[in-house]
Amino acid sequence: MEWNTTQHVWLILGCFCVAFAPRLIPLLFFRTRKIPNWFNEWMRYVPVSLFTALVVKDIFITPDYVVSVVNRAPEMIAAVIVIGIAYWTRSMAISVVLGLCAVFLLALVV
Amino acid sequence: MGKNIAKSREKLPYWRRILDASLPVDLSYIPIGLACGILLNASGFNVWTTLMVSVMVFSGGAQFLIASLLATSAPMYSVILMMFFLELRYALLGSSLSKYLHGQSLGFTALFAASMNDENYALNYLKFSTDKKFTPKEALHVEHMTLVFWTISNLIGSLIGSAIHIDLTIVHFALTALFLYMIVVQLKNGLIILICILSGFLAAYFMVLTKSTLGLVISTIVASFIGFMAEASIRKFFPNSSLLRHIKNPAGSPEDVDE
Repeated sequence: MEWNTTQHVWLILGCFCVAFAPRLIPLLFFRTRKIPNWFNEWMRYVPVSLFTALVVKDIFITPDYVVSVVNRAPEMIAAVIVIGIAYWTRSMAISVVLGLCAVFLLALVV
Repeated sequence: MGKNIAKSREKLPYWRRILDASLPVDLSYIPIGLACGILLNASGFNVWTTLMVSVMVFSGGAQFLIASLLATSAPMYSVILMMFFLELRYALLGSSLSKYLHGQSLGFTALFAASMNDENYALNYLKFSTDKKFTPKEALHVEHMTLVFWTISNLIGSLIGSAIHIDLTIVHFALTALFLYMIVVQLKNGLIILICILSGFLAAYFMVLTKSTLGLVISTIVASFIGFMAEASIRKFFPNSSLLRHIKNPAGSPEDVDE
């Protein structure tokens, strides 16, 4: 089935609504209300948990949502390299650039 | 010497400081944005719809999903439903930034929410938690700077179409590296490392179980809640536990304003 441009526009508007609502509602809810302390303490663990989940998805989960390590050696080795670089340099830019170089070179070799 | 560096940074024009703060994301958006534009073009989007989707949805993962679902001729409601599950995690990003954006105007909140995504959230969360002077307005401009890089890369990708080939899995690793960096700088004690490992296993388990990125949301809620409960109980019953002891930082980064 080929979609035409009007359908694409409707699709984008629909996607905008479902993308915008989850981004807006929590910010709107806490905009004027006092944020309870326990909530802030809970939320402090959100970034590290979410980023770990995203990394696991990127490295170990296939597009069909199966855990797999097949052909993932370059990413796995590069991930270890990035962790080391990030730990020692604390530089986001160096970590990203050297990580990309590492995965590119490893993909040629492994 | 540190003061001199700080001083010379103050002298930089405003837009340069925003650019510097967002540069790691800006640069990784160029290849990923190109790839995304190419894929959208291949799935039938023209330049205008590509412009529209990159500004209005502004999420790499979501746009790749749209491109791949259009290729499989999925019905519209199922694309939008999957998008909903994919984007649900932004509720968590918003919640965890809410204490820094408390009391902003309605318009600002809406504008900030509209262009928030994983990557600029990572930048802004780090800035807010390490730099007391960082303002919500600067955070919004960081978002918009990344949006500009993303949109232009998308458009160029759409225009060059399938003329060049980009290996998506390799390019995508730029974002994985960014998230890995974010994890490493937040590993401040043994408990956080344990929660991090737990979250990894939970993420794999729930994503396989739900067959969708809804698993990301569930695992994040569960892992962060366990972390919060564990910290509270350790503080109460074992106040001298080594789990909460600060890990030495070899590079010596600025003090955390949260503490």
